[in-house]
Amino acid sequence: MAPRPLESVAGFAAYLRGHGYKVGVPEQQAMLQAALALGVERYDRLEACWRALVCGAAGEWRRYPELFALYWRPERTKGRVRVSGEPRPRRDLRELVVDLQRGLDAEAAARAAGLGAPGEAAAERPAETGLAQGGASRAEARRDFRDWPPEDAARLERIVEATARRLRARLTRRRRLDPRGGALDLRRTLRRSLRTGGLPFEPAWIKRRRERPRVFILVDVSRSMELYARLFLHVARAFAAVLRARVFVFHTRLAEVTAWLARPSGRVQEKIDAVTAGFGGGTRIAASLAAFAGAHARGSLSRSARVLIMSDGYDSDDPRELAERLAAIRRRGARIYWLHPSREPPQSVALAPARGIVNAFAPVHDLESLARLAGLLE
Amino acid sequence: MDEAALSEALRAARYVAEPGLVTTLWLALEIGRPVLLEGDAGVGKTAVAAALAQALDRRLIRLQCYEGLDLQQAVYEWNYGRQLLAIRLHEHEAGALAERDLFARDYLLERPLLAAIASDTPCVLLIDELDRADEAFEAYLLEALSEYQISIPELGTVRARTPPLVVLTSNATRELSDALRRRCLYYFLDYPSLAREIEIVRATLPEAEARLVAEAVAYVQRLRREDLQKTPGIAETLDWVRALHRLGLQALPDDPAATLQTLSCLLKTREDQAQIRARHALAGAAG
Repeated sequence: MAPRPLESVAGFAAYLRGHGYKVGVPEQQAMLQAALALGVERYDRLEACWRALVCGAAGEWRRYPELFALYWRPERTKGRVRVSGEPRPRRDLRELVVDLQRGLDAEAAARAAGLGAPGEAAAERPAETGLAQGGASRAEARRDFRDWPPEDAARLERIVEATARRLRARLTRRRRLDPRGGALDLRRTLRRSLRTGGLPFEPAWIKRRRERPRVFILVDVSRSMELYARLFLHVARAFAAVLRARVFVFHTRLAEVTAWLARPSGRVQEKIDAVTAGFGGGTRIAASLAAFAGAHARGSLSRSARVLIMSDGYDSDDPRELAERLAAIRRRGARIYWLHPSREPPQSVALAPARGIVNAFAPVHDLESLARLAGLLE
Repeated sequence: MDEAALSEALRAARYVAEPGLVTTLWLALEIGRPVLLEGDAGVGKTAVAAALAQALDRRLIRLQCYEGLDLQQAVYEWNYGRQLLAIRLHEHEAGALAERDLFARDYLLERPLLAAIASDTPCVLLIDELDRADEAFEAYLLEALSEYQISIPELGTVRARTPPLVVLTSNATRELSDALRRRCLYYFLDYPSLAREIEIVRATLPEAEARLVAEAVAYVQRLRREDLQKTPGIAETLDWVRALHRLGLQALPDDPAATLQTLSCLLKTREDQAQIRARHALAGAAG
């Protein structure tokens, strides 16, 4: 049975989504609208129309022609077809447009509006799991450390918590103008009164800013970091509790562990081991950062974000790629701090091009250096 | 208007557009969505809007973004001076002036965004270098562009009678939000190919010698492959060909020294000029 035209479009949209494009139901509707507006005679212009609709950034723009060719003209681009489990949709654009036009006459246009085929809506939003903003209350974080075997770990966490609390105070000390604020901003009120000839018609009120700094902690758990990763996870845990930081672990892949750190449980390490068990050998920092910026923290990397990477900087990806990923995060306004377990900043080749991009390198090798962290992150 | 007609109209406005761009602009008119143009500086992003306005015979309203752009400069502002003046003038006539008289359209200064939406005739709204404005403004724009309406607390909501065609440009100094990207059609403008750039120059400077244009454009295209701090854009090519034509040249001079004299049209930093000079000196020594 030949698939319906609407499903063909949905199939292409799903294919693009599989390649990281953000094509939801509204985009699919627009794709359909464009196909109908073009008509049969100009079906060859569809590629350009859809390109404008589905692309949102230069990278996506550049990859599009290849993906389009692979999907709609697989016979001409042999050997590179991505295998998918779906039944093969009809891949003839001309026929598709003809069918669409015919369908428009037969079925009501309302059908096009109801395009969100079953399962489509669910597929549209990439997995947004419950652990998005995990974090324990402060009381919980302080409750008991008996689950953390060595005594040092408890002491460490207390110090880090104090550091994190200081940092929180600093990051939220700014005030902002707010018409419902409680305090009068004298300087701005006077400034505003100039417009009205010195009469303060419009007083300016200020209020403490409520927004929390967004802190992301990425802990390298590769072989070369074995001795430190455990300690770093304690640090990350304290940050997660006080600052509601989100914590990720990576070596060849990246996984979020915030939810597991939030609950005081003796088996944190075991759980993290279980997550990372499937990871291969080596460290792929650049790929992990790409996953971090592209999927996990996609919407929240803004100016108030701080990204803490705890790693020795040994990366098996191309060094230029690491620099590029870091630069992409910086471009979104976030600040990046590289915390290393050695006294001196890591000298690895992978980090050389990244030197100008990372906001600061800081050693985290003993309690004293940890205590200095708050001043740095401010 | 279909694509061919739009392409012709743009050409008449002296803008030679790639087929993909014409399709995108046509689609934007067809389904009423803003167009987001990205690309290096000097590839003609801003010129698209100007040409479109001319091609469609619409008014062009331009909003240049910069860091710290606020709503008073972008949307509207009350004309305080005039309001105060009105109060003073009416001071001695009791009851002559009610408060709402002061918040009437007369005392409203329209800034580009409101001007575009309140416009009686359809217009082209160019929001230039959006990446320079801050996130708050971008969020505001999102609302204004999806509904094509602006609310003014004292007056009510102003709805667009005819939605403007909105062209946004960005140099990607900051990444724009996904939400904004999703509401726009996207087009990435690259440097034109040799043939297209020759076409562009010929459309703009029909009086220049064909051989001069071909040689000069080929030279600029070579220059773009060099590792320069500031790659010359199309505007620079046009300036340079204009300068060469003004000098009465029919073709690029054989003597590289003469070419170098005019390079200030193309190379806008000292380092770039030094680099190209050194390159020519080397080539001269070898030849």
